[in-house]
Amino acid sequence: MKKILATSALALLAATGSAQAEWPTDRPIELIVAFAPGGGTDIMLRTLAPYLKEILGAEIPVLNRPGASGEIAYTALAQSNPDGYTLSSLNTPGFLTMRIGRELGFDPAAICPIARIVEDPGALIVQANSPYQTMEELVAYAKENPGAVSMGTTGVGTDEHLAMLQLEESAGIDLTAIPFAGANEAKTALLGGHVTAIGLNVGEYSTADQNALKAIGQFAEERSVLAPDLPTAKEQGFDVIQSSERGLATRCDVPEEIRAKLSDAVDQALADPAFLEQAGQMALPLSYLSGAEWVEQMPGRLERYTEIFSLIEAGR
Amino acid sequence: MEFLDLLALGFGAALTPENLAFCLLGALLGTLIGVLPGIGPTTTIAVLLPVTFFLPPLAGIIMLAGIYYGAQYGGSTTAILVNLPGEASTVVTAIDGYKMAQKGRAGAALAVAALGSFFAGTVATFGLAIAGPTLSGFALSFGPAEYVSLMIFGLLAATILARGPVLKAIGMILIGLLLGTVGTDLSTGASRMTFGAIELFDGIDFIVIAIGLFGFSEIIENLEKTGASGVKVAKITRLWPTREDFKRAWPAVLRGTGVGTFLGILPGGGATLASFSAYSLEKRVSKRPAEFGEGAVEGVAGPEAANNAGAQSSFIPLLTLGIPSNNMMAMMLSAFVIHGLTPGPQILQSQPQIFWGLVASMWIGNAMLLVINLPLIGLWVRLLTIPYRLLYPAILLFCCVGVYSLNNRIFDVALAAGFGLVGYLFRKAKCEPGPLLLGFVLGPLLETNLRRTLLISQGDASVFVERPISLTLLVATALLLLMMIVPNFRKNREEAFKGEEA
Repeated sequence: MKKILATSALALLAATGSAQAEWPTDRPIELIVAFAPGGGTDIMLRTLAPYLKEILGAEIPVLNRPGASGEIAYTALAQSNPDGYTLSSLNTPGFLTMRIGRELGFDPAAICPIARIVEDPGALIVQANSPYQTMEELVAYAKENPGAVSMGTTGVGTDEHLAMLQLEESAGIDLTAIPFAGANEAKTALLGGHVTAIGLNVGEYSTADQNALKAIGQFAEERSVLAPDLPTAKEQGFDVIQSSERGLATRCDVPEEIRAKLSDAVDQALADPAFLEQAGQMALPLSYLSGAEWVEQMPGRLERYTEIFSLIEAGR
Repeated sequence: MEFLDLLALGFGAALTPENLAFCLLGALLGTLIGVLPGIGPTTTIAVLLPVTFFLPPLAGIIMLAGIYYGAQYGGSTTAILVNLPGEASTVVTAIDGYKMAQKGRAGAALAVAALGSFFAGTVATFGLAIAGPTLSGFALSFGPAEYVSLMIFGLLAATILARGPVLKAIGMILIGLLLGTVGTDLSTGASRMTFGAIELFDGIDFIVIAIGLFGFSEIIENLEKTGASGVKVAKITRLWPTREDFKRAWPAVLRGTGVGTFLGILPGGGATLASFSAYSLEKRVSKRPAEFGEGAVEGVAGPEAANNAGAQSSFIPLLTLGIPSNNMMAMMLSAFVIHGLTPGPQILQSQPQIFWGLVASMWIGNAMLLVINLPLIGLWVRLLTIPYRLLYPAILLFCCVGVYSLNNRIFDVALAAGFGLVGYLFRKAKCEPGPLLLGFVLGPLLETNLRRTLLISQGDASVFVERPISLTLLVATALLLLMMIVPNFRKNREEAFKGEEA
């Protein structure tokens, strides 16, 4: 009986395989971007799409479905056909944190990453002429004046906010989170001296005016290639690890071989010197991971985020 | 004369055949997408951004900038002709522009809009060239506390936007504020008034409300009044504005340019706020406030000048400090970054041809837009002679496509249709949508900045009067309020509006 089942399963697999034989050339592959046009994820994928198109030999139109930090795009992906013709951007921590304490309109387990493309650690930024030129100095001041250090974030549960909560916990200090509608608004408030510090990704920092802004620590395990001279928080004695990852995903029930082909195509595109040059100009901290490797890391990160979120719940 | 040398350098860079061609292309594209409601410059530039990889840096940036300010010209066209604001910044243009068109003066309205935009564009570019760095420093001193005071002032001034009883205007502002609270609360992450619809997590899009309240409800009302036979548009007497129009329009253009240049610099301000403020200002200073809403030429000239001036001057913080003041400028920042350029003080030193080339191209681009738009007026005006039974399905179609393309979802189209019905009821109740939209725009800014201010000051509200800019704005608000309460003034206001009640 077991054998029959196995055989029929194999036959089914073969049948699906042959039905998909034409993939990906018989129609366009839709690439859903979970953010508005012009954001970091959008620009990254619009830059990548022509290379994927060449490698796969299929048209890859980019479609923006912004909203609810990605939930709208992931829901659309979860409702698409599992035929490999619908891809979506995938961003952490958003993809992981949105399920904490909230019912989602889709099942996160049904969405499988194809590849991670970028990993961009967060960094702590102050004004260039700030009295606090190291994390230690900032922490020392915050210890004496609880709540007086204000830190611009881009909202609850965002990268910067999660990093801030970790720093509070690790250093035993009390900071005041000031939410802004985006990194640029936060940057403006910092330049005007309205907040003490802000969080930015290292990629964003490396393209900003470094005579006006100064990074005093990055939240990575190891120093990012974009900021080799910037000490990590860990080196300065604070346990803060926070990075944004951006990649591609599709439904988990898309045939394994199609997902493998997609992952290979991304890997190949990322090795293309022409793409590398463009990525370099945009300061994209490229960091390829296959879907399988990426998915392996996720439970650990989710656990960490859940812990941090419980700090928010605890009334911080 | 270092300034002239730099300017000459800029024109030298902008006047190459290649850069001229991209400037023209940008201006043309901008006009086109400006005319189509919903399809805004932000989306267009995002789509074209990767293309600029293959262009020299200056050419790419010139083209993208052209799309942005070109859209400010194009957006006014549909607002005036069919009461359909193509861009958020042209909502107020529709109020009087459309009335002018109905009175057979569409040509005059379009010409005033184009000439006003051109004048404002050139002046604001000049401001960008000479005073950019100084102005940016001032913009930075606008922190959360200053914004709160500015928004309070703006909300009070919004009552001036409407005709009819002040109470109705205040009611509409409050509805606008309420609509502005829909979505995720930035400070706590809680979702408000979304009824569980994830489509509402980020709030309602401005364009959805504007197209519903203006576009859709206008069509419903027209069809109710006249059936499919059409809207009666008075016979077009002349295409060009009269001498009287020019006399009334030019001071409005001057004021609009000033307001627009100033508000454009402020982060988060930009062209939309500029056009609303300019309209309020015109109505306030006018000797004939009763004509506003009935086709006052100042009501077109002021806001149109302001939104174009604002579009140009929003480049100031980007180019001099490297901070984008709105989404559009964030996109421009990406365009610079793609070419390995970091906007900011150094770029003025190290790559002057980029900064001055862009400034020069804005002058050239504005002139091109005038040349593109003036001859088109005759063509646009003829659009009004199309039978309404053919015109309105086309308008509906463009509205739906535009709204859909905002986020690629049908939910927004349904929402806009709902606002169309609501807008129709408002019309029946003689309530104007202008104050509602301003409340909707200002409300979230007021709320988030108020919370930010109090967070930063750790609950101490005295910051509002301790900071000089904030205090000045609050005093101005108090004066305005006093003027509205003092009986003498109120009588005047009511008299001014009496004529229209009939």
